[in-house]
Amino acid sequence: MKWQIKEIDIYLQAKEYVDTAIIPLIPISWGNDIKSTVQMGEFIHLISDELERQFKGRVFQFPPYTYLKTEKLEERLIKMNEWHEHLKDSGFHHIIYLTSDVDWKQIESDLNDTLLWVPSIPLEHLDQKYKVETLSNQIKQMIPILTNKWQKNENETN
Amino acid sequence: MSEKDHKVSRRQFLNYSLTGVGGFMAAGITLPLVRFALDPALKVGEETEMVAVAQVNELTNEPKRFDFKVNQVDAWYESEVSRSAWVYEEDGKIVALSPVCTHLGCTVDWDASGDHPNRFFCPCHYGAFEKDGTNVDRTPPTQPLFLYDQEVRNGTLYLGRPRPQV
Repeated sequence: MKWQIKEIDIYLQAKEYVDTAIIPLIPISWGNDIKSTVQMGEFIHLISDELERQFKGRVFQFPPYTYLKTEKLEERLIKMNEWHEHLKDSGFHHIIYLTSDVDWKQIESDLNDTLLWVPSIPLEHLDQKYKVETLSNQIKQMIPILTNKWQKNENETN
Repeated sequence: MSEKDHKVSRRQFLNYSLTGVGGFMAAGITLPLVRFALDPALKVGEETEMVAVAQVNELTNEPKRFDFKVNQVDAWYESEVSRSAWVYEEDGKIVALSPVCTHLGCTVDWDASGDHPNRFFCPCHYGAFEKDGTNVDRTPPTQPLFLYDQEVRNGTLYLGRPRPQV
């Protein structure tokens, strides 16, 4: 589900079915690496849209968390843990961070939730057809990560 | 003849003609603006056009997934939306099903679960559908998968919008 009023109406009626939050983490910097930063943002945007389409009924796609690339890792960690607390209290059992920014890898083990790091692929020079193909190949590899997570959780509660 | 004999004085005549001309000019500028602003909203219920999705000779008895893009116009906002279809051919008839689970809208996969062989399966809440799209009892969905409007021209399959099977 998306961050839209009409989807929230559906969510409110089907709360018990939606237990996974996807939060894209998108870095911002306006220096020499401006192109690669924008590319990361666009790529993660596409991936999270596609994941949302795949798992619409169980996943809520949040607006991206954007931060300056210079922001310290400790500060990011504190913020993400605040998100974690808030969303856990609101009924999300699974929280998934989606990013192309490799910095997050350094604090992955300190995060309370799943970090999906996907290196961004330059898509802008590809034909529409290959673009779609490349993206759906990426998605195909990410699908089991989610379904396995759900399955594991269900096995534990049973 | 003096000024007083005229029904319309020079001053009045100038006033009338200037207001008239000015009015026309103002209308000439504002009316198109109003029209442009309202236009997208006036075009209601525009049909999604048919999109080429697959070659008929690619189709088999086994459902195959095809991805395509459609242009969607939502009032002022025009966007390209990804759609997919599960397509197969049976007894010379082409069936194109929408992969959108009728429960909460996840994307279903064909033959993906050991518990439901040869069925469409939704990974979100384990909904299942038969090959023709009928929802399987005691799984969350309450209605069959939607069926696309379809058309075959020169060996190419075109799909339109998905509609509920009733």
